[in-house]
Amino acid sequence: KKKKKRREQKSFPSQIASLPSPNPRHHPTVGLGASTCAMPGYYDISDILMEDEAVSVAFHVGANGVGLLDPGTETNSVEKGAKIDLPFWLAHELCRRRAVSITIPSCFGQKMKKDVQADAACVDLGTRYPYFYEFGCKLFPLVGDKSIGPFLRHTFANRYKEMLSKSHTASLNAIPKFVLRLSKEEHQLFEAARSSMVEFKKWRVRDLGLMKTTIVGHKRKTDLH
Amino acid sequence: MYARRAAQLLQELSSCEEGQLPPYNGDKFDQVIRECEEHSRQFQSLIRDKDIETKNEDHYGSFIHHLSIIRNKRCLMAYMYKRAEVIQSYRWNVGRVLPREIQDKLNFSEQEYFKDYCGVIDSYMKDLDLDLTVDMVPPKDPYIRVRVLSEIGEVSLGDHAVSLTKDSFHFLRRTDAETFISQGLMEEFVE
Repeated sequence: KKKKKRREQKSFPSQIASLPSPNPRHHPTVGLGASTCAMPGYYDISDILMEDEAVSVAFHVGANGVGLLDPGTETNSVEKGAKIDLPFWLAHELCRRRAVSITIPSCFGQKMKKDVQADAACVDLGTRYPYFYEFGCKLFPLVGDKSIGPFLRHTFANRYKEMLSKSHTASLNAIPKFVLRLSKEEHQLFEAARSSMVEFKKWRVRDLGLMKTTIVGHKRKTDLH
Repeated sequence: MYARRAAQLLQELSSCEEGQLPPYNGDKFDQVIRECEEHSRQFQSLIRDKDIETKNEDHYGSFIHHLSIIRNKRCLMAYMYKRAEVIQSYRWNVGRVLPREIQDKLNFSEQEYFKDYCGVIDSYMKDLDLDLTVDMVPPKDPYIRVRVLSEIGEVSLGDHAVSLTKDSFHFLRRTDAETFISQGLMEEFVE
């Protein structure tokens, strides 16, 4: 009986973000090939930095010798029932072993949902939660809240429309203010769209070879504008 | 502790522009390694003489120290890996010899890595008898106009010899001219 290889289910936005960049300077010869091993993204710096986000957890058990984690403790240990902030990489592993339970952070809470409902495109993800989507995707299997998945999709869909239209009209040098509001993943999509638009414009006005007729002063060229 | 410093190391790296490197932060790197040793000491003291199966407070404490070490390792590995990737790209984008300001940003073993990588590429190109580092951007024209900047003398290119005296103009094949251009002996003459 063949065992099916379990592949990590990536959400739609991160599937797009992980496509190879259209940048012609990206050499296929450079790269040490970590993506084909058993831990894809091990060397991925944005994945590592994303896992550094703090989450609030409640300990189900005590833990000795780790008093530095809890600024409120006097002994060198964390008491059962303590509520402290841990980095996500630690909270994730402890939650899998049922040592802690993670409380839903404010970025997926009621206030955020109201803000998105009011106007998704205005929500400032760039400064407050740059890893909004990746973090949500990793968080939601650990927390009991089933609404996070549809919430992420809804937010992304609403922001995507406006981002797409702005990226096609934005010039290469100026950074529109709204770019600062984009999360890291959206930023990658935005840059991809902008550079492909620039390449398209260059292609449209490329030198087709001016054809001179024998009559001086008359030049024929195909008009694409 | 608990991999905060390692994350700072990576922040430094990611805040740089694509294809650029910050100077090698040996101090912080060593501090992270010392933190790992501290975690390891704490881990040893928590599991000494204890039964591994019982899930008591010591078990969870030691588990947290173990996870911190794994996390620090991952951060340091990613740091080295990313820098190695950029160093490799230097061979293709900059050339065999690195300018002073780039060399200052690399530590000793990274400079050795660059030399070894260049050696590997060169021996491969010698086997193929093909220079892979020319024409990184596909050229529009196989021929190029050049102006000679410094005296080179008689050079045989292909089937004929060309006398490359100072300030002379030539119409050469791009592959032949590129070696001279990258050394600064010629420049492309753009009308």
